[in-house]
Amino acid sequence: MTNRDDDMIDDLFGLAQSQTPAPSDDLMARILADAAAVQPSVASASPPQAGFMQSLMDLIGGWPSVGGLAMAGVAGIWVGFAPPTVVSDWTAELVGTPVTIDMLGSTDSYFSESMIDG
Amino acid sequence: MTAQHGIWNDAPDAALLVAYANGDPSAAQVLTARLLPRVLAQATRMLSDQAEAEDVAQDALMRLWKIAPDWRQDEAQVSTWLYRVVANLCTDRLRKRRGVPLDQIAEPADPQRGVEVQMQDTARLRALSDALAQLPDRQAQAVSLRHLQGMGNPEIAEIMDISVRSVESLTARGKRALTDILQGRKAALGYDDDEP
Repeated sequence: MTNRDDDMIDDLFGLAQSQTPAPSDDLMARILADAAAVQPSVASASPPQAGFMQSLMDLIGGWPSVGGLAMAGVAGIWVGFAPPTVVSDWTAELVGTPVTIDMLGSTDSYFSESMIDG
Repeated sequence: MTAQHGIWNDAPDAALLVAYANGDPSAAQVLTARLLPRVLAQATRMLSDQAEAEDVAQDALMRLWKIAPDWRQDEAQVSTWLYRVVANLCTDRLRKRRGVPLDQIAEPADPQRGVEVQMQDTARLRALSDALAQLPDRQAQAVSLRHLQGMGNPEIAEIMDISVRSVESLTARGKRALTDILQGRKAALGYDDDEP
């Protein structure tokens, strides 16, 4: 490679670097049209018209919530019928142990005797 | 530029891209105004063909719009990514020129000096682009980024995802190869005189 060859290639590089074309309006318009065409839109999909049941489901959080509610209901029924010991102890703590009060007391024998004698 | 655009003027490219992906209508306009001149210049310098360069610019930005929702801000700068995409798109097009005989340089039909110089410049730029097409893709990319874009080797290394040493090697070999290819066309390109 001679210096003249270097001069030529350096001159060509310089010539190329001096190219700073201004984008045409048409190119800008095409690119912006592309951008608009593929731009993700947050509100692009309008929600379908929901019925009453769907609205209710949405209100309570959908099927997962319905599943949770059903489980809670079943558990409540089970506890009502067959309370585990821990529940009994807990309710006893809260409301106290049931106490049987004998309202007749000492008169019991009197009435018993009267009924026998009578 | 509207007041809405004004709020984006100082925003980083990546933030604009996220805004675009989130549906902001003005983000694309600001990004395009900012990036298109660079993209078009890079493509024009490599291809020396206005129509082809515009197609590449449009294609590169279309890829940017499409990748916007998945853009990871911690990965690369938008400009670095774009330089890489444009370089790849240009070498794709240059590859199609391989095997085609280098253009014969037409003599200027108009003897007016201004027109003659302009035509000679056009012919020289096309000859450089055609010579670039004869290089392996990576050499063509490294040479174009170094000598047509005027970038530093570390920046080129980042764009091409290679080491600085590899960039140095590619640019040196590429420049030598270009000189060899163009040597036989010196007279036709007007470099046989003392003045280039």
